[in-house]
Amino acid sequence: MEERQYDLIFILRPDTPEAEIDKVIATLEHAAAEKGGKIEKSEKWGRKRMAYRVQKLREGFYVYMVVKSAHGEVVKELERRLKVSDPVMKYLTVRLDEELKRQEKLKRRRERRAARRPRKAAPVPAAAPPPPGEQAAATR
Amino acid sequence: MADERAPQQQSPAPPGPSGPPSSGPRAQGGRPGGPAKRGKRSFVRRKKVCRFCVDKSDYIDYKKAEILAPFIQERGKILPRRMTGTCARHQRWLTVAIKRAQNIALLPFAAEL
Repeated sequence: MEERQYDLIFILRPDTPEAEIDKVIATLEHAAAEKGGKIEKSEKWGRKRMAYRVQKLREGFYVYMVVKSAHGEVVKELERRLKVSDPVMKYLTVRLDEELKRQEKLKRRRERRAARRPRKAAPVPAAAPPPPGEQAAATR
Repeated sequence: MADERAPQQQSPAPPGPSGPPSSGPRAQGGRPGGPAKRGKRSFVRRKKVCRFCVDKSDYIDYKKAEILAPFIQERGKILPRRMTGTCARHQRWLTVAIKRAQNIALLPFAAEL
């Protein structure tokens, strides 16, 4: 099956000691590996002010991860662990591979188009060579 | 469509034949040059250009709250297209991005009192 990509962000209580943060990340990595997935990247964004209060707190420690897996089981397990983990206040998983695919497609199309007509050449079947495309459009 | 709009407004070279080029993208099913037509009919309004089209962005990242912030009101509501000039496609992506950001407390659902 095709590999899926997810963004996983979670917020820990701001008073969580550094060691515990690392422990949470390590357990998630372990859990992902056990289910056949992989955590490609994990980034600590650090303490950030949240846009609204969560559990009466205004700040939280953000951790960002990129998860790759072939099926949803991995995410299910990661979310279960986040749910039972005490210092975790909030988490969000977003499946991204389809959006990335779309982004890739649009990018390729744009590049193709840019190669075909440098600026804007409206319905002109006559050959408008790439560099003087601007002039051709202006004279019309 | 998205990329056709931007160059059209950037190029001041052909002022005379503004009619034909604007009908060009529409024929291809791209985004119509709405603001330009409206200006011709009634009065000249300041043209609002979709910021994301100008940047040619193919994806709006929900993690960058500072990019999304200008598109919400102080109370936390998402600004409509008519206020920001965002094109339909980018507004669609934008709302999704804003809603994701709200879920992870990067943006507020509603301003706190």
